Amino acid sequence: MSLVWKLLRRNISAGQLVGYALANLVGLTIVLTAIQFYRDISTALDDEDTFVTKDYIIISKKVSSLGGLLGKKVTFSKGEVENLKAQKWVRKTGAFTAAGFNVAASLEMGGRGVSTWMFFESVPDEFFDVKPKGWGFDPSRPRIPIIISKDYLSLYNFGFAASRGMPQISESMVGMIPLTISLSGNGKQEYFPAKVVGFSSRLNTIAVPQSFMEWANERFADRPIPDPSRLIIEVNSPGDPAIDQYFAGRGYEVAGDRLNNGKMAYFLSVMTGIVVTVGVIISLLAFFILILSLYLLLQKNRDKLRDLMLLGYTPRQVAANYRNIVVIINILVLALSVALMLLGRTFWSSAFEEMEMDLASTWPTILIGFAIMATITVCSIYAISRKITRLF
Amino acid sequence: MNRIELKNLLPDVFRGAEKEPPVSLSELWLRDFAFEKGQTYLIVAESGTGKSSLCSYIYGNRHDYQGRILFDGIDSRRNGIARWSEIRRREIALLPQEMRLFPELTAMENILLKNNLTNHKTRAEIEEMMRRLEIADKIDSPAAILSVGQQQRVAIIRALCQPFDFLILDEPVSHLDARNNATVAALAAEEAKVQGAAIIATSVGNHLSIDADVTIHL
Repeated sequence: MSLVWKLLRRNISAGQLVGYALANLVGLTIVLTAIQFYRDISTALDDEDTFVTKDYIIISKKVSSLGGLLGKKVTFSKGEVENLKAQKWVRKTGAFTAAGFNVAASLEMGGRGVSTWMFFESVPDEFFDVKPKGWGFDPSRPRIPIIISKDYLSLYNFGFAASRGMPQISESMVGMIPLTISLSGNGKQEYFPAKVVGFSSRLNTIAVPQSFMEWANERFADRPIPDPSRLIIEVNSPGDPAIDQYFAGRGYEVAGDRLNNGKMAYFLSVMTGIVVTVGVIISLLAFFILILSLYLLLQKNRDKLRDLMLLGYTPRQVAANYRNIVVIINILVLALSVALMLLGRTFWSSAFEEMEMDLASTWPTILIGFAIMATITVCSIYAISRKITRLF
Repeated sequence: MNRIELKNLLPDVFRGAEKEPPVSLSELWLRDFAFEKGQTYLIVAESGTGKSSLCSYIYGNRHDYQGRILFDGIDSRRNGIARWSEIRRREIALLPQEMRLFPELTAMENILLKNNLTNHKTRAEIEEMMRRLEIADKIDSPAAILSVGQQQRVAIIRALCQPFDFLILDEPVSHLDARNNATVAALAAEEAKVQGAAIIATSVGNHLSIDADVTIHL
């Protein structure tokens, strides 16, 4: 132990330093935990495969009873789509393309055929929440991959099958059923093999690849392709109140509670902001405790410090002892708060994993913690040096 | 450092009293004077004439004066903190009148506090000096329980634990008997001779038993 340290450690108040360490530990832990939670949630929200798809909104026009009878259009004109695209909260828009031909599906079960009229729609691939195997279309080997809404399967399994005592079927079972699709129109009729390859929780429709739809419309359409009746929009800030106003003002309807999810994300980011601010304020107050405690210590040791410098010790040599205290305490605080943040994370990480949501990396959060503590350390050391230099 | 010059020096407290004693009678205040390396100076003063202030001005821990102090022709007010620290480790040694020992450290620790900085003496050399000044038995006693005379001797040894060109002793023997006075004078003279340094000793009554080349009345 150096003699200088032996001399200077006397007036160090362990209570004050522990107080600082605890206060800063609380503040920093709050900041880091909030940041990590927000990052994890954001990663889950951005994750294409989860049910909390925050960025997509599907809109349609209201169908009124009278308007329907009078043939009032419920489709979006080019002008309306352009206007929508010009909104600053819109990142991308995609139209639901309808088929200009007739579709019928049939399947063979034990020698008995079942067949039904149905419809197809398509949206650009980038708007799908699922990217199943076999998605796409090759005209030289025509097979039609189909994505249907998860809701349809749920309706059957939990509504129809449950009440009628019929077997429930899984997604993979549906995918094994071979379908035959008949397309007719423009004086032609052709049959294609088809399969349900995926289930979407975002798109409430029976979807086929856009490339197939274009190909088939060219071949079979005998009526003009109608304007899209539904649009899918990727938005920048789902919680933006301007979105609600825009839709309400034009009588557009939003499908499902997608917008509510967006609002939740927006609310979450506001909450995180508040929590982080509280944590930062606690950390700042802790920093002031540290500075005050150090100033008090320097004040108590004023004569000793002066005498040491009178012997020829430089302010830097004397300050080194206080610097070491600050650095050691701050390293401990950082390590502990990172540990607490990781511990806190286990409370939500298991829940996230159960929902098959991805978690964000913890490194950026740890780096932020390091940056905060480095700043506090540098500021404290600067304050100490200044104070001691003044005593010279 | 070879030369410390005082140019028209006057403590701020004497401002306005330039024509009255003690300033009017002083051989240093408001005059030009130079301390040369290798010489021995005895500054004889009455209490309250600014003797300790002069030591502090030269050592750079007080600046409440007008006039100039030149180190080899350079105004000492221009020295930065780093330069002052260097001067205090290598060029000027000071024994302050109030000793300024750290009461919680032992006699030896007080001395080592300086010597660790300069690595000027070996532990054996320090112990030998303590033996000559008859405080070898106090080596591990806290400075707080030493008598004033013993503290004075510890502080003198501490002041000698560094290379210097000027050794300033502010009332070094005020609490020492004749025998220890002679030993202190001999130690200081030996050390100064080895280093070719000057000794500047002050006194209000009990003079250091040393052959002064110059005696100044402050």
